[in-house]
Amino acid sequence: MNNLCSDIGYTSINKWGEQLCGDRVEIVEQGENSTVVVLADGMGSGVKANILSSLTSKIISTMMAANMSIEDCVSTIASTLPVCAVRQVAYSTFTIIHIIENEEAEIIQYDNPLLILLRDGKFVEIPKTGNEIEGKMIYRSRIKLQENDFLFTMSDGTIHAGVGMDLNFGWQRPEIIKFLEMMYDPSYTAKTYSTLLVEECNHLYGGHPGDDTTCCCVKIRNRQQVNLMIGPPSDRKDVNKMQALFHSKEGKHIVCGGTTSTITSEYLKKPMIADLDYLDPEIPPIAKIEGVDLVTEGVITISKVVDYAKDFLQDNESYSEWGYKRDGASLIARMLFEEATDINFFVGRAVNPAHQNPNLPISFNIKMRLVEELSECLKSMGKRIKVSYF
Amino acid sequence: MKCTICIGSSCHLKGSRQIVEQLQYLVKENHLEDKVELGGTFCMGNCVNGVNVTLDDKLYSLSPETTKDFFDKEILAKVQ
Repeated sequence: MNNLCSDIGYTSINKWGEQLCGDRVEIVEQGENSTVVVLADGMGSGVKANILSSLTSKIISTMMAANMSIEDCVSTIASTLPVCAVRQVAYSTFTIIHIIENEEAEIIQYDNPLLILLRDGKFVEIPKTGNEIEGKMIYRSRIKLQENDFLFTMSDGTIHAGVGMDLNFGWQRPEIIKFLEMMYDPSYTAKTYSTLLVEECNHLYGGHPGDDTTCCCVKIRNRQQVNLMIGPPSDRKDVNKMQALFHSKEGKHIVCGGTTSTITSEYLKKPMIADLDYLDPEIPPIAKIEGVDLVTEGVITISKVVDYAKDFLQDNESYSEWGYKRDGASLIARMLFEEATDINFFVGRAVNPAHQNPNLPISFNIKMRLVEELSECLKSMGKRIKVSYF
Repeated sequence: MKCTICIGSSCHLKGSRQIVEQLQYLVKENHLEDKVELGGTFCMGNCVNGVNVTLDDKLYSLSPETTKDFFDKEILAKVQ
């Protein structure tokens, strides 16, 4: 048993003018610590490519997760994929990353650009063996994983970026490796790193991608727990219980909400010092209590975090805001999206009578809904969430 | 003299940022930085009457419109 976990994120852009993407990433968990990731790139573009890659990725990920052999997967695909009327072939390239117990990876590649491994920020060549299955040359590798390994798999939209425009022969693999090494920052999430690469491709394409372009990144990292408390308990008698449970948890601690932080400061017998700097005019300033990593206002701050979380799962455009700013919402976003792998929410159900005013957008129901929305978003980011109500 | 402004959710929505900015400006303009200390606090438990401001433990209820008045009457008059 190790303390490693994998953070998986991907980003796609569509060929210019297409509404559907012909690349598909499928992630299937296999028990607690094993995962199968498949990136498939369907032939052509638009609807046809989308169907081919969806079928391919879904079939392979499901079969692999059920421990079937790669030979079976390939022959199943070859015999089930619809045949293209124009080209008389059924075709979708794929890369499979099978992460076993978060310490080993089996990599199977067919015709996509070869996988790139960055270990501690430096490119490492992965040894591979090739064999032919059903007339297709398939490369296999098996490697040990360690903390701060980043695996990048991509569709050929990346290496073709800029062909005939800014670059004669596209953006070739050595250039992509150089780019990834140059951008290296171990604190990047898989999603952020893959977005960086795809954005660069989009840039090389001059904003008009000539092909669907996808990058999927797997980051191996240590598990890290973050605890977030919001709201006082509905029964005053539970204050000590809630506080004791919260502070006994390992990892960082975030306290949200005015009353909640006042209670915390009383419980810890440490003064709360509120800041007066409005780093973001929308977000109330943060405060400090010794023994707590971050103290913020409640509903307004969290609703901004929810906005950031939703965007993170979509286009990740607001990264340029929360990625560096120092207001309460950005700080929470960085702690939850980037640092944390396991998040414990301690939610108090007390109703603040002053907030039950129809003119204020901060009623009790809104608070509960925000917590639910946020935990759903974080689950979609692959994090383990526990919510306890008091 | 210590002046504390509530920056909790409810007071935030009622304009505590504008009040903080006005007070910061007024204190500076009157060169009272040595005499008046501005600070923030989270909820004072009196949200209904927000925005809550305390001046040496005496509670006042302000809005952005009444801040200048408050400063003239309560702060400026007392320190001079």
